[in-house]
Amino acid sequence: MLGLTLGALPHFYYQPIWVAIIFLAMIGWRCMNIWRAWPLPSKRYKKQRWLQLSIAAFAVTLLLLHYGNLIGRDAGVALLTVMLGIKVTEIRSSRDFYLSSFLGYFLVVTNFFYSQSIGTAALMFVVVIIMTASLISLNDLTQSIHTKFKLKLAGKMLLQAVPLMILLFVLFPRIAGPLWGLPDDAYNAKTGIDDSMTLGKISQLIQSDEIAFRVEFADKIPTQSSLYWRGPVLWHTDGTTWTALDEKQYTANPPEIVSSGEIYRYSTTLEAHNNKWLFALDFPTQLPTDEKTHFTQDGQLRSDDNIKQRIQYQLSSQTQYTLNAGHDEFLQLALQLPENQHPRTQQLAQQWRQQTTHPHEIIELALNHFNQQDFYYTLSPTPLSGDTIDQFLFETRRGFCEHYAASFTVLMRAAGVPTRVVTGYQGGEINPINNVLVIRQRDAHAWTEVWIQGKGWIRIDPTAAVSKERIEQGMSMVMPLTMRSPLLIAQSQKLAELWQALRNNLDALDNKWNQWILAYGPKLQKEFLAKLGMSSPDWQKMVAWLVASISIVLLIISLFIFYRRKHHDPIARLYQTFCNRVALERGISEGPLDFANRLKQYYPDNAIEIDHITQLYINLHYGNQSASIEQLKQYVNRFKPQK
Amino acid sequence: MASTANAIKAILDTLNDIILGKEQITKLALACLLAKGHLLIEDVPGVGKTTLAHSLASTLGLSFQRVQFTSDMLPADILGVSVFDRKTQQFTFHKGPIFCQLLLTDEINRTTPRTQSALLEAMEERQISIEGETYDLVEPFFVIATQNPSNQIGTFPLPESQLDRFLMRIKIGYPDAHAERQLLLGQNSRDKLKQLQAVISPEQLLTIQTEVENIHTSAAIIDYIQQLLEHTRNSDLFHFGLSPRAGLGMLRAAQAWALIAGRQQVLPEDVQAVIASIVNHRLQTRDAYLDRDVVAELISHVAIP
Repeated sequence: MLGLTLGALPHFYYQPIWVAIIFLAMIGWRCMNIWRAWPLPSKRYKKQRWLQLSIAAFAVTLLLLHYGNLIGRDAGVALLTVMLGIKVTEIRSSRDFYLSSFLGYFLVVTNFFYSQSIGTAALMFVVVIIMTASLISLNDLTQSIHTKFKLKLAGKMLLQAVPLMILLFVLFPRIAGPLWGLPDDAYNAKTGIDDSMTLGKISQLIQSDEIAFRVEFADKIPTQSSLYWRGPVLWHTDGTTWTALDEKQYTANPPEIVSSGEIYRYSTTLEAHNNKWLFALDFPTQLPTDEKTHFTQDGQLRSDDNIKQRIQYQLSSQTQYTLNAGHDEFLQLALQLPENQHPRTQQLAQQWRQQTTHPHEIIELALNHFNQQDFYYTLSPTPLSGDTIDQFLFETRRGFCEHYAASFTVLMRAAGVPTRVVTGYQGGEINPINNVLVIRQRDAHAWTEVWIQGKGWIRIDPTAAVSKERIEQGMSMVMPLTMRSPLLIAQSQKLAELWQALRNNLDALDNKWNQWILAYGPKLQKEFLAKLGMSSPDWQKMVAWLVASISIVLLIISLFIFYRRKHHDPIARLYQTFCNRVALERGISEGPLDFANRLKQYYPDNAIEIDHITQLYINLHYGNQSASIEQLKQYVNRFKPQK
Repeated sequence: MASTANAIKAILDTLNDIILGKEQITKLALACLLAKGHLLIEDVPGVGKTTLAHSLASTLGLSFQRVQFTSDMLPADILGVSVFDRKTQQFTFHKGPIFCQLLLTDEINRTTPRTQSALLEAMEERQISIEGETYDLVEPFFVIATQNPSNQIGTFPLPESQLDRFLMRIKIGYPDAHAERQLLLGQNSRDKLKQLQAVISPEQLLTIQTEVENIHTSAAIIDYIQQLLEHTRNSDLFHFGLSPRAGLGMLRAAQAWALIAGRQQVLPEDVQAVIASIVNHRLQTRDAYLDRDVVAELISHVAIP
């Protein structure tokens, strides 16, 4: 029961609360039945059976209402959880118990639909041990085995399965795509940046500690202030929301890029986000070779398919570049503004426009404006309503990167300078343990690009004008350490530092786990098998190897057992032959003399032979007198019980 | 060899002549002494505990002391006491009843733990220490203790450590109908006791004890005993498993049993025959299992190698 509860525990996180309530109530009921002898629903009483049926019907109705159907990952697992809970209350025979246990194992498997982290694997390992132990206790009819011993035995059984597990893991043919075909609803609720932006959206994102991607640089790591990871580029605005170009426009020509400077080579492990963009350091020198990708006109690196599982790709980038210096097809779009909005902003821009027509100087004016007026960079900006741009620029003046990027773009466009918003991530944190740059959701950022004739799209980050630290030192410096730690730990700086170190270590471990265990897909498998000496492995070959190696392992084990039995004791084997020949069965705790006495009553005619054999066996097995095995063998071979 | 078998047969015959209808019990008691173990006899009053102890002492030809334990006894009453001698102007040690070959402590659980524990060292080390002096006890040395079931009034239950020093605890039980009739018809056992002759000498007893130790125990038997001990330690039935001392005792007792049965090697049956008397007082069962024969279960769970 504990195993079941533990197995179901992670699911509660993903399921509506009432699933957990029903499940725990049912388990609780059963526990009360065991400890306090509460009545259980029984078949004898019609009323109680109705109660049970109605709970089940109620649960199914709730599920239907909540999910719309009973098929699919979430609904299916929720159904399994609820029904398992109800099943527990009606365990009567050992058959029910077996059924619940096996369903429990199944519940364990479903956990991996949601999470495949080390933590989940470890927890499920424990659950499997507990469940195996409860199966053992079910088979221990006299209940005389100590609980500790049961757990030990279960652990031992699991360990014995490890060689086969490793073989299956290495050799079982991997298919491209996720481990198993998951229904579509399996990719819901991924946090991450979006292809649209409204003020306040990214600042919600920065509450999240979740990892967006990890980058391992081959040799040098660029300075923090040049770590701009480009995501969706936003062009269109209706005054509050900024959106990207649509899919068709994306497939237009690739951008013109001229880059120079140092080449940084790196490998990125991107967490699944169920969108198409890949993040790359501005600006990549070529497409990654290992994924089907393309560049869009506005410089995004996009995959052909949605990223539904963690992927890894190799890139190299140069941080000095010019983008579409000659011309840009979408230049007109970069001047679009909603009509009759932001009057005060328009006015300010017109003012600048009258001072100078040179885009450089207008930009300068705008950045100075942000820098010298009392604008503040804050993680918790004042909520805005109505004309958000005007309100921000002239009233609240407290904002986050998106506020600055959006209002700067509006200002530029109003002054006639083509500008667009770029979203993505900026900075990241180096894990000192394995030197991997970890980019979390809280590193999400928005900046702008301004197009200047002859120079192309130039990155302007208005946030830098307000808060230099955010760009130069990264988000972690702006956010106090204590703010990034769980509440309790946040009380003390020392604890927070300790927490940070612990997390770094865990993350390094997690990274290895991702790279070696979870990323073990068809590609890695091929490479690994090739290293083992299997040329051009295809799935038929793998299956053949798999079958062959499993047979070899089983053969070795059985040979070992056979060997041990054979060489263990020839005398015991002879005696066993004798015992097999008679109609009576010798109890495991029946001594040879007792058995002989019983046999002699059953086979009075064979009494002498039985005595002979028993005496020889006793002398050989328990005594020190030199009796001959040969003699025992002869007796046993000649022995024919007569009834 | 033959003389040993004869001696044992003679002893058992004599014992069975006095304790009627309890062949198995007298055999166990004898096995216990042959295995150099102390014996605890527990039963209600009047079933012949003292008679058994007394007749064992007489037939084995041992010097015999009997102490009736009461609640006001002190350790000195058993061990002895130093008394100032006027003539020699010195303290002289007056040996207590423990300086004998067989000490019968009647109703051991009537006395206080203090006096009970005075027996501890003597039983295990076969020596006693008084006022800094150590005195060796004579060889052979046995303690046969009798006690009333601890649920009776006025008893101090023996602590586990003390219980563990008794190799066996046996219960005599009421005689069956036939034996009881004979008992009622026959001669008073007190008179018979007085007429008892020693069957063997203490020296002979020592020889037989050595023979017990030389009874062959195969690896299979060692495995079997080990697995039995292991099972008591892993089982849910008991608070604690058996001690290594209990294991050693089990082995010696099984050897003695084999010798009494006239065999030169220990069989699993020997272990099974003595195990109940060895483990019953050492294993504390959890409450839920009170009404079960745990020893039978223990035996039935462990496969004979």
